[in-house]
Amino acid sequence: MSTQIRLRNCAKTFADGTRALAPFDLTIEGGETIVLLGPSGCGKTTILRMIAGLEFPDAGGVISFDGDDVTRQSIEKRRVGMVFQSYALFPNMTVAENVAYGLKVHGVPSAERDARVDAMLEMMHIDMLADRRIDQLSGGQRQRVALARAIAVQPRVLLLDEPLTALDAKLRVRLRTEINALLRKLGITAVYVTHDQEEAMALGDRIVVMQKGEIAQIGTPREIYRKPQNPFVADFVGAANRMTGQMRDGRLHIGAHVFDAVDAFDPRHGAILDQGAVELYFRADGLSPCDLDEAHFTGRVEAVSYLGERLRLTVSGIGSQAVTIDTHADDVIEAGADVHCRVNADRLTVFPAVTAQS
Amino acid sequence: MRRDWKFYSQLGLTIVLCLFIVVPVVMSALAGVTVNVFKGLSSGLTLRWVFEVWDLYAQSILLSLGIAMACLVVTLVAGVPLAYVLVRRPSRMMRLFEELLTLPVAIPGLALALALLITYGGVSGYRSSWLFILTGHVLFTLPFMVRSVAAVMAAMDMKMLEEGAASLGAGFWRRFFGVIVPNAKPGILAGALMVVTLSIGEFNLTWMLHTPLTKTLPVGLADAYASMRLEIGSAYTLIFFVLIMPLLIAMQALADRGKRASRRIDTAEDTL
Repeated sequence: MSTQIRLRNCAKTFADGTRALAPFDLTIEGGETIVLLGPSGCGKTTILRMIAGLEFPDAGGVISFDGDDVTRQSIEKRRVGMVFQSYALFPNMTVAENVAYGLKVHGVPSAERDARVDAMLEMMHIDMLADRRIDQLSGGQRQRVALARAIAVQPRVLLLDEPLTALDAKLRVRLRTEINALLRKLGITAVYVTHDQEEAMALGDRIVVMQKGEIAQIGTPREIYRKPQNPFVADFVGAANRMTGQMRDGRLHIGAHVFDAVDAFDPRHGAILDQGAVELYFRADGLSPCDLDEAHFTGRVEAVSYLGERLRLTVSGIGSQAVTIDTHADDVIEAGADVHCRVNADRLTVFPAVTAQS
Repeated sequence: MRRDWKFYSQLGLTIVLCLFIVVPVVMSALAGVTVNVFKGLSSGLTLRWVFEVWDLYAQSILLSLGIAMACLVVTLVAGVPLAYVLVRRPSRMMRLFEELLTLPVAIPGLALALALLITYGGVSGYRSSWLFILTGHVLFTLPFMVRSVAAVMAAMDMKMLEEGAASLGAGFWRRFFGVIVPNAKPGILAGALMVVTLSIGEFNLTWMLHTPLTKTLPVGLADAYASMRLEIGSAYTLIFFVLIMPLLIAMQALADRGKRASRRIDTAEDTL
């Protein structure tokens, strides 16, 4: 029922010669929600626009929907629903007219059209806004109208381009939950572009992490979070702390300390990493404060931020850069104090150290 | 509240300056309905001159209105798509074209008229018809239409709106007439009023291009002042005034409405 999207050997070079996307393959299964995640300029929006038919891949690239080649088809013919960051609602029409627009274009008879518009507005909880003008709506209301308009025509795929970026934090979380429920309910194939890691985790069946026009990793939110395949992904999904170490005979050495049971698989070479210099990436749970007798390291607290459910310390003197460590919210620690901490080896992600020549 | 001498001196200056501008208008209007302007108001008021002007110049007045409407149609049909292309596909060529388009505003109307006469003066049927004047008016007013429409189009993120419409299956023409044109309406209306007003009032280009049979309103006015009684010239001004004032007021109202259309600001209290 839901449409499978396949991109084969798709690359994008813009007219001025800049390479926006290196050739890539990507299959999005029917009914799946895939999130394209990455910093701005990484090419995620270009992929979305290619699927939409707003950009065309370089020669050799093929895009198909359920096996139909749509590579050269324009957006009008592809039957894709699009939701934009700035909504793209028509200011000359009311809410109901906006939602009815696509149905009118597709020649749906007026009685059926009205019924469908009413159903859409009700589903998005905006039925009381039907006769409002667009400039009388709040940002959250506008994005609901945009969603209703996009799904009213029963598109083959739903494409969402940073739909929540223009909204404030609280509303973003609320609408994200609603979009998630909506996508599950409709069972529609969806492609969602965002630069927000949390949004990606919450919505994606799979996440495609993009870096400088290339796919850095494809995986479920759990895989991306726990097993980032390269330092870029690790850093982007929040493992921003870094230390260096040595692998010797499958055991990790950090300074004078030795750790067993470290998952040191090198995806780039498809082999276990058991010798050589390594870089360790970890989140605020990679180190935890402890008593002096169990401590591996002692650092100095540079700053303390109270996050409500926990206390976040910025600590120097461990590794080459300052690291962040979380502790209990009730602990009383002041900047300038010494802090002893333990390494939680299972929370470290190990990558071979980048050598000087590479 | 006590007001000091500064307030009163400023008020006085403002009143004097206003009178300086308003009095001639009133004098001119009064002259148009006075029996004998040299004897003054004591000679009595009359509408005789107004009717006389209508008898003499009805042809010119109707021709002017006709040319203004034709000019509006041409500038709409040419100007709106032109503005669209200028905004949607900006390039160095388009910039150059826009400059060329604006040139007739910058160079004296007389020079433009001369160029038209030198080029097309020999085409007798065209030279002697009202279409010749229309050509001049279109050249002169088109940039105003294009600028006015382009300003509104540039502010509305046409690309995004078009992509939205296209994703819903709308082809180019449907997008253009269903989304772009309705949303450019404030600019189109403002441009239209500007074009009509300019066309009705245009003198120096028209004066060069007219023939005795294609006299427009302002040319007729010059004619009336030059060769008739002062009362007739003044009555003529009165008619001109009555024609052009509603247009100017509509233009002002439109500009005000554009300014008042405020955007709603999203806040954290936003519940939806």
